[in-house]
Amino acid sequence: MTTADFDLNSYNSIAWDGVIHSYRPSPDWRSRVSPGLKVAESADADLDPVTFEVLRNRLWTINLGHGDTLSRMSGSPIFQALDFNMSILTEDGEIVMSAPFIQYLNTGSPLVVRYLMEHMSENPGICEGDIFLASDPWIGASHQMDVCIAAPVFVDGELFGWVSNAAQQYDLGGIVPGGWPQNAPDIYSDPIIFRPFKLVEKGVLRPDLEEMYRRQSRLPDMVALDLRAQLSGCRFAVKRLQETCDEFGADTVKAAMRRVLDTAQASFARKLEAIPDCTVSDVLYFDEKLPGDRGTYKVQFNITKRGDRLIVDNLGTDAQIEGPNGFTYMNFAGIVLGVIGQTMLWEHTFSLGGAERQIDFRPLPGTLSCVDYPAAVSGSVLNVSSAYMRLHNIIGRLQACDPEQQADIVVSGPDVPLVVISGSDERGNVFGTALTDAGGFGGGARAHSDGPNTSGSSYIPMIRMANIESVEQFYPLLVMYRREATDTGGAGRRRGGVGMDVGLTPYHARSIEMVTNAGGQGVSTNQAMGIFGGYPSPTAEYRMLFGTDVGEQFAGGHMPTDIPELSADREEVIRGKSNGTPILPGDVLTRTVCGGGGYGDPLDREPQLVATDVELGYVSAAAARALYGVAVTADGLDPAATAELRTSVRAQRAGWPAVPQALPVADQPTSTPATGEAPRHVGEHLTARDDGPSRVLACRHCERPLSDYRGSYKHGLLVDIATLDILPRVKDPRFFLDAEMEFRRYCCPGCQTLMTTEIARSGDPIGEEIRFA
Amino acid sequence: MSAAQRSGTDHAGCVIGVDIGGTFTDCVAIDGNGRIVIGKAPSTPPDFHQGFIAAIDVAARQLGSTGEELIAGARAILHGCTVATNALVENRTSTATLLTTAGHADTLYYMQGGRRLAGENARDIAHLAGPAHTKPAPLVAKSHIVEIDERVGADGAVVVALDEDRARAQIRERVAAGADTFAIALLWSTANDTHERRLAELVREEAPEAFLSLSSDVVPRPGEYQRTVATVINAMIGPVTSAYLTRLGERLRDIGYAGELSVMSCTGGLIDVDRARRLPLLTIGSGPVAGLIGAGKLARTAAGDADPGALDAVNVLTGDMGGTTFDVGVIRRGEPVTRTETRHGQFEYFVPTLDVRSVGAGGGSIVAFDADTHSLRVGPRSAGAVPGPAAYLRGGTEATVTDADLLLGYLNPENFLGGNLTLGVQAARDALEAAGGPLGFSAEETAAAAARIVDDQMADAIRLSSIQQGYDPRSCVMYAYGGAGAVHCPQVARSLGISTLVIPLSDLAAGWSAFGVAASEAQLVQDLPLLAASPFDPEALNDAWRELEATVRKSLPTSMLDADPVFDRFVEMKYTLQVNELRIPAPGGEYTTETVQELVDAFEAEYVRLYGQGSGYPLAGFMITSLRINAHARITEVHLPASDAVAPHQVTPTGTREVIWYELGRNPVPTPIYDGADLGVGSEVIGPAIVEFVDTTLVLRHDQRAIVDPYQSIVVRT
Repeated sequence: MTTADFDLNSYNSIAWDGVIHSYRPSPDWRSRVSPGLKVAESADADLDPVTFEVLRNRLWTINLGHGDTLSRMSGSPIFQALDFNMSILTEDGEIVMSAPFIQYLNTGSPLVVRYLMEHMSENPGICEGDIFLASDPWIGASHQMDVCIAAPVFVDGELFGWVSNAAQQYDLGGIVPGGWPQNAPDIYSDPIIFRPFKLVEKGVLRPDLEEMYRRQSRLPDMVALDLRAQLSGCRFAVKRLQETCDEFGADTVKAAMRRVLDTAQASFARKLEAIPDCTVSDVLYFDEKLPGDRGTYKVQFNITKRGDRLIVDNLGTDAQIEGPNGFTYMNFAGIVLGVIGQTMLWEHTFSLGGAERQIDFRPLPGTLSCVDYPAAVSGSVLNVSSAYMRLHNIIGRLQACDPEQQADIVVSGPDVPLVVISGSDERGNVFGTALTDAGGFGGGARAHSDGPNTSGSSYIPMIRMANIESVEQFYPLLVMYRREATDTGGAGRRRGGVGMDVGLTPYHARSIEMVTNAGGQGVSTNQAMGIFGGYPSPTAEYRMLFGTDVGEQFAGGHMPTDIPELSADREEVIRGKSNGTPILPGDVLTRTVCGGGGYGDPLDREPQLVATDVELGYVSAAAARALYGVAVTADGLDPAATAELRTSVRAQRAGWPAVPQALPVADQPTSTPATGEAPRHVGEHLTARDDGPSRVLACRHCERPLSDYRGSYKHGLLVDIATLDILPRVKDPRFFLDAEMEFRRYCCPGCQTLMTTEIARSGDPIGEEIRFA
Repeated sequence: MSAAQRSGTDHAGCVIGVDIGGTFTDCVAIDGNGRIVIGKAPSTPPDFHQGFIAAIDVAARQLGSTGEELIAGARAILHGCTVATNALVENRTSTATLLTTAGHADTLYYMQGGRRLAGENARDIAHLAGPAHTKPAPLVAKSHIVEIDERVGADGAVVVALDEDRARAQIRERVAAGADTFAIALLWSTANDTHERRLAELVREEAPEAFLSLSSDVVPRPGEYQRTVATVINAMIGPVTSAYLTRLGERLRDIGYAGELSVMSCTGGLIDVDRARRLPLLTIGSGPVAGLIGAGKLARTAAGDADPGALDAVNVLTGDMGGTTFDVGVIRRGEPVTRTETRHGQFEYFVPTLDVRSVGAGGGSIVAFDADTHSLRVGPRSAGAVPGPAAYLRGGTEATVTDADLLLGYLNPENFLGGNLTLGVQAARDALEAAGGPLGFSAEETAAAAARIVDDQMADAIRLSSIQQGYDPRSCVMYAYGGAGAVHCPQVARSLGISTLVIPLSDLAAGWSAFGVAASEAQLVQDLPLLAASPFDPEALNDAWRELEATVRKSLPTSMLDADPVFDRFVEMKYTLQVNELRIPAPGGEYTTETVQELVDAFEAEYVRLYGQGSGYPLAGFMITSLRINAHARITEVHLPASDAVAPHQVTPTGTREVIWYELGRNPVPTPIYDGADLGVGSEVIGPAIVEFVDTTLVLRHDQRAIVDPYQSIVVRT
């Protein structure tokens, strides 16, 4: 089935009730709101632009203060990495503005708010001073650990709006400490789910319910502190919104909220209008349904752009399976909104509700990207971030069709390979935490510049990577080295930023156990995907060196700062999903986290930039040669050898087979007649133009026609199908997987420009990428 | 006979405060009778000491003396020094070589990932492909970072002994390559500084003349990224600051000044020259801090007059609005609010500083139409001093807040900066018209909109800082200074519900930092990092306090030891399992179980005050993470004499001008204009009114009442 023959009628009959399928409010949801709940809908009709600007600033300030209250009050190191987000919503649950923290985390708040209004406004009622808690992923939580707190804002006895936050908790039960059980076959082994309930009644915290909540956790004191921080954050925002209404009048504030949404919507619509109608698609894979599983599972996103609207579906995605792999509807929609907020809507500082009005989300439930109850979902949340990252490239292909938006493209960043440790120190103090010391992910490249090195993660733009001295202060660990890692950014005309290598060993620990949790194919195949011929970033790695000589080396006065300096009894590369690996004194855990994908053909990168990268250790001399065709010696750049190398690489490319000879090609659509319109750039490498009686897609550089306008331009390219290990640092994925994964590189038959790359399961069809309508 | 003895006048024994800014050097001289004169002279980079002397000369002439006489006879010369700041901003720093722990050479490069963006504005954070997401040029090139084989653990134990031979060889290699400025920042030197000290010895042996900056010395606080940045910046600005202070000291000695030169620091007090040479980092940001101290001095004096018991209850908010920024500082219940980290661009570093925060809202903030939100935006871009506002006629074509102020009638085009700069009304009008055109706004409407938006942005900034710093603006007296402070703060104060606004000492306002420098005490702030969990052992705390006190005593300069220093104690405390600390005042003397309980109670009370009832969680237990001693001593006595109170009386305006009051409508209203020189103690002006001073203009909104108090300050009831 393709997007074109999607049956909207049967789709619209799906019961999105939050029981089996996720909750999605039906168009008539407001009719089920209790008449006893007075909803304030009026707004000034003639808000002046100055008051609007003043109030827009004020709303932003309230969100920031809300975030500040949360992070300063909270106890957990997770909160310190800003693992939360907050929003201000209208009375009917549209997000007026979110804050600059985790970008998809609170996109479920409209769902929570609408669920509360639809199902709870009659009983137990929604009153001034109430605060609700919800962690059901089939309503509005990303996963159970991202507990959502929502508070109604009343003005003069009427429901004026809502404020909410969602934040990651350390532990809320389940079969593995920390909330990311990788061995949970279904939801019943996961951390507990809280259906929405009223935790604070008219300003008073219900102690019985707080006890119930605390009782689920292995660290009740920690979650109690975090809960208080979240409640205080909401209380703060409610109070400030009420004060703002007192100052300006509620109808004026509401008018400003509506206009924030309207202008964001209009701006988004305008940007979409500037892009020709098309469908962009991308496929990614998830590994390992349960620890040790060697399967590979397919997820597909299709975004169809028509006029000023988007339709987002997941046709082509595998059905859900046992184990923590998939994610719920809230995430499917939230990551699309999150990426758009940072790339197409940044002028509107996270006014996501405006964009949401222009998007129809049509995922099929029961699939990996829209799982039904009772799938395990808590441990799969990093697949959400993998998908978030891949969406950068999908949205980027849309943006590349409009020269003005091209500068805002950000290529995929890497996955987040997580480590959760728990155990006790020498004195028997119990601890548990997700390690935040390896948070120096590199950013994806931009059209105009390289991705930033060790910059954090796009979906948490302000993520704070922990100091070694705070990690070691709290946990019995010693971080031996932490350095920017060579060859971890995707090659390209603009290079992806690099990630980092980290090595640690226990220090005064009694026992430590580790859980690993990696998204996508992050440890088996690759991390970030490149775009327009840019290369992917390589695999992340968890490696255990058991029984090393680290103690002897310390005693001998030397700090080993790389794996080859250590001798170990046994080495083991740890899988992306694992539980309970012990880390004992003398053992060393090393991790590699990667950088972003590259942008454009690496052969087009200025040779001097490559030489500088080699000098700074960002690119190895071998990779400079193999990927960039640049010869760098101890004396620096060798221009003559570089020119020769690049010529020979292009000659090799010219010998690649044509796509129809190498890969199965679906039927081409009928020919598109010439339109008489001027040629138009539709992407980094493509021009749409008339060619005799037809409208075609042609190479932007050498003008060679590649396909019909509505066809797949990739069918007109040459292709090389390689194994993944031609990428530096990547080893044979078959260590982890049964499937054969292949790296496909496509170049223009005319000028040999590398136009696109993809990673696919052997036998899987060519990625559709972009099809114009 | 010295010059001062010869003169025999009452200006002998002046306290001289000098503050060097980017453009002007300000001097405040206060004689034994409390008479205050100011002097202003152009700054003279790179030989700043010339402007220093020149500004004193201007002040001296008002006392019927000369600069040389004043200097030679001075009781104290106190200095706010921006040499380090300027060097840093203008990239005129030394190239530092960083010695750091093996395996951790890249600490400076990470910038703690996304944490580097914390000081950026909303849009820049949201704009993932935008310039803020590209990291700034590194402080130290990778080729200048040397990994030293050594390691100390979190508990202070030596895990890997320092390989001295290898370290010496590495240092020697760098010295041979020309390195003369070293920063040494090792992991956990806060718990055990032996390796850092030993490395310092090796550097001194290999390069006796090199400038050396040690992290355990610069700021002993756990958190290697911020500590390393602090140490590196301290090294980068060390040589330039040292050279300047040496030249200045020689010059003052040549003139005949026999006393100590003291230098203003961001900790809120004066430090001696040796300390300033060693820790030039402390001079960065000292200007705004001095302003806050000056306001505090004035507020205490005024409060003390009214009610001597009220001294400790003084709540002060300062608003310093200049060309590019609006700086906000807070004194809460008599104590300036402090913080532990600050930023140089995106580089965050530790330094014990008063918490003065900058917002990108100043006279030069650019007013522009924003097509995306279909609204007018003000800032954060600034026209700066060059090209400056359109009205300056220096080539700026974009509208700014100053242009708006001019068109609204707040500013007098013929009498700006005492008539030294004629403002171009037409240029301002054109720029504003262009900015507001897409909204259908006239130039005047655009001006009104810009003023309102910037006023509200400043109020928003104060609202946000009040959450973070834990104060209620309505409980504060606001002090407004800087060129545009008196223009905008009357409205800002009103919208925040602040009832009293003070424009300090009228014509002193423009030299306000220099006054703050003159009003400051000598100070030495020293921290001792600690990791103590409850139940606290009083004896262990007593030992730690003794150790810290000994360190402080050893570091105190004679000038402070002679001046009977007071040791104020503070502890940083948190709930166990928490990451963020609160700093609370701690009792002196020997601790008992009761004292410890008092500390815990004080912590909990402060916590509730900051975060609300029920937000604390004592079941988690408590931790003390740091002890601080703030040793301070009054090395000069600056007494602000009050004139005799005079009954309130009206002043005659010099004329009227059409002024647009945006809160009342779009039509200009004839408004009385006053000459600030006509105002004396007891003079009263009722808004709407404009009062023109040499360096600033007071824009008094409707129903605001301004009266000159016995200290020549203008007190506005908002």
